[in-house]
Amino acid sequence: MIHAPRMRNLELKNLYRFGLFAIAVGVAVTSLGARMVYLQVYQGPGSYVGPSQAPVQGQQIAPTRGLIYDAQNRPLVENVVTYTIFVTPADLPLDQEPTVATRLGAVLNTDPVSIEAAIDSATGSLYTPVKIAENVDISLARFIDENSDALPGVTVSAVSKRQYLNPDLFSQIIGYTGQITAQQYNQWKSLGYTKQDVVGQAGIENSYETILRGTPGTQTVALDAAGKPIPGLVNKGTDPIPGSSLTLTIDSKVQQYAQTALKWGLSATRVQSGVIIVENPQNGEILAMVSLPSYNDQTFADGISETDFQKLLTDPNQPLLNKAIGAQYAPGSTYKLVTGTAGLQDQPACSNAIADYSYCNTGTFNASTKLISSPQVVVNGYPYREWQGFQWYGPGDIKMGLAHSSDTFFYQLARMVGIDRLAYWAQQYGFGRPTGIDLPGEAIGIVPDNQWKIDTQGEGMFTGEILQAGIGQGFDASTALQLLDAYCALANGGNLWQPHVVKSITPPGGQPVAIQPTLLNKLPASAQTLQTMREATRTVVLSRHTYNLVDMPIKVAGKTGTAEFGVRDKNGNLPYSEWFVGYTPKDAFNGDFSQPDSQLAVVAFIYGANSLGNVATEVVKYFMMEYYGLTRYPLSQVLPYRINTWAARRTNYYNLGQLN
Amino acid sequence: MSVLKNEAWRLRGWAPKAGWMAWRNYDYQLTIYAILLTIFGLAMAYSNSVGPTHTLLSANSPFVKSMLWAVVAAVVLALTTVFDYKWLRSFAWPLYLINLALLLLTLRFGQGTGEAGGAGRWIVIGGFQFQFSELAKIVMVITFAAFLSDRRASAKSLWTIIGAIVITVPPWVLVLLQPDLGTSLVLVAVLAGALFMSGASLLWLATLAASAVAAVPFVWQTMADYQKARLITLLNPGADPNGAGYQIHQSQMAINAGGVAGKGITNGNIPLPVQTTDFVWGLLAEELGLLGSLVVLVLFGLMIWRLLLCAWRASDEFAMLLGCGLATMILFQVTVNVGMVTGMLPVTGIPLPFITYGGASLVSLAGGLGLIQSTNLRRERPEW
Repeated sequence: MIHAPRMRNLELKNLYRFGLFAIAVGVAVTSLGARMVYLQVYQGPGSYVGPSQAPVQGQQIAPTRGLIYDAQNRPLVENVVTYTIFVTPADLPLDQEPTVATRLGAVLNTDPVSIEAAIDSATGSLYTPVKIAENVDISLARFIDENSDALPGVTVSAVSKRQYLNPDLFSQIIGYTGQITAQQYNQWKSLGYTKQDVVGQAGIENSYETILRGTPGTQTVALDAAGKPIPGLVNKGTDPIPGSSLTLTIDSKVQQYAQTALKWGLSATRVQSGVIIVENPQNGEILAMVSLPSYNDQTFADGISETDFQKLLTDPNQPLLNKAIGAQYAPGSTYKLVTGTAGLQDQPACSNAIADYSYCNTGTFNASTKLISSPQVVVNGYPYREWQGFQWYGPGDIKMGLAHSSDTFFYQLARMVGIDRLAYWAQQYGFGRPTGIDLPGEAIGIVPDNQWKIDTQGEGMFTGEILQAGIGQGFDASTALQLLDAYCALANGGNLWQPHVVKSITPPGGQPVAIQPTLLNKLPASAQTLQTMREATRTVVLSRHTYNLVDMPIKVAGKTGTAEFGVRDKNGNLPYSEWFVGYTPKDAFNGDFSQPDSQLAVVAFIYGANSLGNVATEVVKYFMMEYYGLTRYPLSQVLPYRINTWAARRTNYYNLGQLN
Repeated sequence: MSVLKNEAWRLRGWAPKAGWMAWRNYDYQLTIYAILLTIFGLAMAYSNSVGPTHTLLSANSPFVKSMLWAVVAAVVLALTTVFDYKWLRSFAWPLYLINLALLLLTLRFGQGTGEAGGAGRWIVIGGFQFQFSELAKIVMVITFAAFLSDRRASAKSLWTIIGAIVITVPPWVLVLLQPDLGTSLVLVAVLAGALFMSGASLLWLATLAASAVAAVPFVWQTMADYQKARLITLLNPGADPNGAGYQIHQSQMAINAGGVAGKGITNGNIPLPVQTTDFVWGLLAEELGLLGSLVVLVLFGLMIWRLLLCAWRASDEFAMLLGCGLATMILFQVTVNVGMVTGMLPVTGIPLPFITYGGASLVSLAGGLGLIQSTNLRRERPEW
């Protein structure tokens, strides 16, 4: 019984409120107790929910990714199964983590501390598995799987991996696969992609991702009390459909020729970066495409380490970049194709020519109009020099101008044509926009005109810039592929084909479906103009501007290019890159260039070559010797192995008697 | 003799009664209930450490750590018992500021579970995790007691209520940012309990409570997705069997399986989410059955009853509010935790006092109980 206390601060305490509180305690304890009685006695142990009522979970079954073959049906990639070790933190009791890490470390031969660190540093749900090791040997994977009692939380998962069979030759073309990015997920989620998918990240793996992937199958799995799938309680939904296989237009052998030739050219000039592309002008098929330095896509398939990846990313030579399509450079004198075509086709009035430097004072420019090749032309008081200050060729027509790559000739022609018409013809040849090749990461290039200059720099083109544009310098920028495709259009009579590297797509169990070439543009140039330009490019070779190229038993036409860039050295000279783009008639040994029947065009580009002779020409020559089987004698006897000295260049003629 | 009597009157309040006389007032029942509950907690920690497969007890296991924490808690209990609680009335505000600083530290340097996306709830000191939000609860009990006893004269004023709310807001926000919805609710409950027991105006309390309910829709919009999911799960447990609903499904299954007598210690084999901490009640019910769980509930009830008695007998308002605050805290945590595990209340991550594995919780409770014993030792002669 409670007596009223006699303390003076008694009134502080409100008996009613204490009573209410005590009642609340009673109610809480009673209702919780009642609930326990209800759950444990009324429902009781009999109400245990068995697996038959267990929740089910829908799962995807990954389809087999499509394979890739070269033009001769040699496999370039295969799928192999690898084993990955995961730890699910929620299934690994905290106190057992060191033990499990030690055991796992002993099995996998890794540091237990790094395993614990990987588990502890994982963000996200405790139920999300943390990857501990990849590419585990099958015997180890089985051992871990069989000892799962001693390794709580550890799971083994078999994952299909890409095995690239010729990474040395095809890394830049085929690319690699990797974890889907947020951007890719948003792009492809309507196609049923999930955030766990592995998708193509570069090359064909990326551009043909949706074709290579196939269709995932579905299944539902019954889950046990812990939310884990119960083996055996799987309901198959649909079977996965494998992805389609691809056949490339590239023959490994031709690709090997191209790479050997380019590597030789790079080593001869002691530089790192270069490109060679071979294309069939008749349909845009790419027969070879090499960009050096390259990387090994198998390292990506195996799971590249962060340091290796950083090394690739920070390499100044950008091995991850396919420079054949992804880098743009000044095209140099190869661009004179555009200027020449514009001149022949537009037939500008001779009154625009630079006074004192031409025989074209009245009438219009045509194939027989002579402009004077001189040490320099002076416009508005500024001299614009010939590329070789000590050599010039006097008056000549366009074949002479192109054959000697006379800058002063084309300065005048560019001025006569005008920058906007020059840009028009460049665009007709496909410059300044992506070719749309079926590889990701294409650069656009730059075709400058007045509007472009106003848009980017706020003022129109100056005269000097127009002259520079006429010889492929200044603002002009092009990818190697754009340049090659333009010459293909010349070689095939005016058809600008979309280049492509995939020849056909083979659905699973089906017949190959050939990819039809896409015509990007039909040049609005007359057959006569194009024939004149083809003959002009042949004159380049015949005039020995390309030295001993003419001595080869095959007929080659083409154009050299030298493009300055960067910062002047201490003698005031800019470093320069070298181009050569050439093509052969259908009958390379006996044909001529009157017909647009060429089936082989090659471009070579050596970045920063700085050699006295044009090493790109020698690279193309090397490639063609291999391609046409002209190497009956050891290469060391016929190849200019010291290309970068002038003297070697002069004596470096073929001995035709030896070859025959 | 009368001089002595007068001297004793003068000394009252700033020194314990001499010698063994003071210990007559020690509430042995309270301590015994706490020890019994801790033993239940240790049993659960043992069960969690060895599991149904009876794996070896490692030095890092919850049981060994719990034993260590129990020793620390005993020391804290003894120290706070001999400590004169009246000092705390002076030091309540510095303590409050230190508490805020510790919560800020937790936000900045804390480590946490994956659930809330890397949020920090505890700080690791020398290998031991310590969750300062547990300490914050006790500190807030002290702060409320100090504040409300200072405002004794205007207990019925609205400003007393507003003042109490204002001092709650900073720690409440810091705890909510961790994000620890459970502890933030405990702070509100302790606030409400202390206000109620201090004799605050029931009219104003009801008005404020009603406006808080009216604000629910706005609060809903600011809640984290996982918190929303938990509330939705309460309303419809079947909605997401693998998410939050899965926890309730599993814990109810475990409780069902326990039956009247339970499976026996370490024999629980139904996988439970966070079965060492928030869902330990499911394991207890499975292994100790209805008998065990009712014993624990009754122990909690008795403990709260003893706390209320201590508060009733206290010789000043500060001491009374300490007892009431601690009683509110334990009552709220037990109700919400057991209610959550048995599927009556939403899943809010509130630890079960003494039973849940966690050093900070146990040590804070020991500190709180020690303070109550300190008020016992230093009160006037019991009047019944």
